[in-house]
Amino acid sequence: MSMSFAAEILLSTVRMATPILLVALAELYSERAGLVNIGLDGIMTFGALSGFMVCYLTGSPFLGILAGAAGGIAVNMIYAFCTITLCAEQIVYGMAVNIFAPAVAAFVYRIYFGVSSTLAQDTLMKPIAIPYLKDIPFLGDLLFHQTPMVYFAYLMVIFTAVFFNRTKAGLNFKAVGEYPKAAETLGINVIQKKYLASMICGALAGIGGAYLTTCYVNTYSDGIVAGRGFIALSAVIFGRWTSGGVLLACLLFGFCDALQLRLQVLSTSTPYQLFQMIPYAATLVALAVFGIKKAGPKSVGKAYRREER
Amino acid sequence: MKIREKLFGVMVPFVSVLLAFLIGSIIIAALGASPAAAIHYLFLGAFGSASNIATTLTKATPLIFTGLCACFAYRCGVFNLGGEGQFIIGACVAVWVGVSWGITGLPAILLCLLLGTLAGGIWGAIPGILKITRGLNEMIVSIMLNYVATLFMGLMYTSLLREGSVPQTPAVPDVTQLPRIFSHLRVTWGIVIALAVALLVHYFLFSTTAGFQLRAVGLNSTAARFNGFAVNRYILFSFIVSGAIAGLGGSVELLGTQYRLMSGFALGFGFDGVAMALIAQLNPLATVLVAYFFAVLRTGATTMQVGTGVPTSVIDIIQALVIVFAVAGFAVVHLPQIKLYLSRMFTRKKEEGK
Repeated sequence: MSMSFAAEILLSTVRMATPILLVALAELYSERAGLVNIGLDGIMTFGALSGFMVCYLTGSPFLGILAGAAGGIAVNMIYAFCTITLCAEQIVYGMAVNIFAPAVAAFVYRIYFGVSSTLAQDTLMKPIAIPYLKDIPFLGDLLFHQTPMVYFAYLMVIFTAVFFNRTKAGLNFKAVGEYPKAAETLGINVIQKKYLASMICGALAGIGGAYLTTCYVNTYSDGIVAGRGFIALSAVIFGRWTSGGVLLACLLFGFCDALQLRLQVLSTSTPYQLFQMIPYAATLVALAVFGIKKAGPKSVGKAYRREER
Repeated sequence: MKIREKLFGVMVPFVSVLLAFLIGSIIIAALGASPAAAIHYLFLGAFGSASNIATTLTKATPLIFTGLCACFAYRCGVFNLGGEGQFIIGACVAVWVGVSWGITGLPAILLCLLLGTLAGGIWGAIPGILKITRGLNEMIVSIMLNYVATLFMGLMYTSLLREGSVPQTPAVPDVTQLPRIFSHLRVTWGIVIALAVALLVHYFLFSTTAGFQLRAVGLNSTAARFNGFAVNRYILFSFIVSGAIAGLGGSVELLGTQYRLMSGFALGFGFDGVAMALIAQLNPLATVLVAYFFAVLRTGATTMQVGTGVPTSVIDIIQALVIVFAVAGFAVVHLPQIKLYLSRMFTRKKEEGK
């Protein structure tokens, strides 16, 4: 009993951590290029909607994920244009995206599906077991019998770590976030790198949103993202802007989410809201205990003007 | 120079509103309705009769509070995204006092407003304290507290103060509700409180030493610190006041309009407040105007839906577009190239005048 309880919690930890992880990696790419993007919730919402619609229409969750990525990029390009080219304040514009994208998503959903009481449902992505590895006792089912998106998220963690620490392109990328002027002098196209970062950020955050509607639940509703974008944002801070740290932070938040869901089922007499508070409270406690004043990329949040001295 | 910047400060929001309405009209036309009719119904709904105007004012009241809440904190350079949570906590305290303390009438109203304000201030102090002591990002903290507050409100109406089988709290008694200004119209003294707070905030920010220092902290905290201003104290103060404004707003909304808590109370008010403060460029009085404009859109939207069948969510898009365009517009007029171009244009005009 206790063994299966633990296994179930861990299994759903991995599941709950995946969307946050994808979105936190999105933010990592953005911040490494000096762009703090607090519009993640908005991008996720739009990704969740476009993923849901395409999955609903075509019946293919994979196309849904691709649509989520495309939707995320589309939304984030507005942010990118305004903050990179027009030098609008990043925080302010992130906020604008958070207001704009959910409004559009809600409108599109209402126009397309109407205000009926029956919820539209799409097909969920099926887990794929990895041969041999899945036979490892206990861990096998946990780690190697998941949806492809879970594998994708963990591969992205490894890729990101290698990219930023072991490749020249990654170091150039980091330079843009640390000291763009110096990067420019060395012949790195700062503006181009920032746009590239925004595209990666939009795609990953959109996929994170689409994960919710194609792998996690089979419906779309307003507020489905429920602040996961902001939890991802704190995962980046908590994880000290490294992909390994971000992974651990996301697993912690995923664990809290999994725990609260399980507790809701176990103890029906306690009001469920108390359990639902756990992930948010855990984020606060984690930040308060381990948060540090400043460790991120040096020029994050600042607009880059090429001609400015 | 000064006048020109002020001119842009007014022009950018106006152009943004026009652009947003233009796109909104295209969407309405694409839905197969007539944009002219839709806009006609929109304004008819907001201004058509005395009772419609009263409804608009009622809808504007909570928005003014959350707008001022965002405005006050950002004047000190900190982003309070927790207006919604502080608003909700204020309302929770107000309903608790109003329903279960056994007092009624004017003393109860005053106590509800006072304790609601206090509760909002305390809730708002949390991100401030965590920011100055632990250096935490105030945006993340205040957002997380929004979710906690919303869930706490859920706890109130599903278990703690639940009334009967419906998940909602009991309504505050009639005598504890905010009195109406005119007996036959819905609008209460809440709007007067909102306007008074706006005037107070404006007076504080622009006519007192403390307000000046607070704005100095917001513009350049390093310079303010070197001038000997207590930067951390101002940050905490701005969070407390900002939260208190939202908390007062929550209790006013509860006593004046909603009377009880139920699912969906205050949903989205926090982010709307931030949007309004930004469109108003952090000017408290302009925030009131923008809040009124948002309320016009909301009241009119219902009439529009009835009259033309265009769903009210079009209005959400128009609102969102206003903020998207306005923020981009403010950035554009501050771009060096554009500034240069504009100053050339202006000097040429002057020379021609000579």
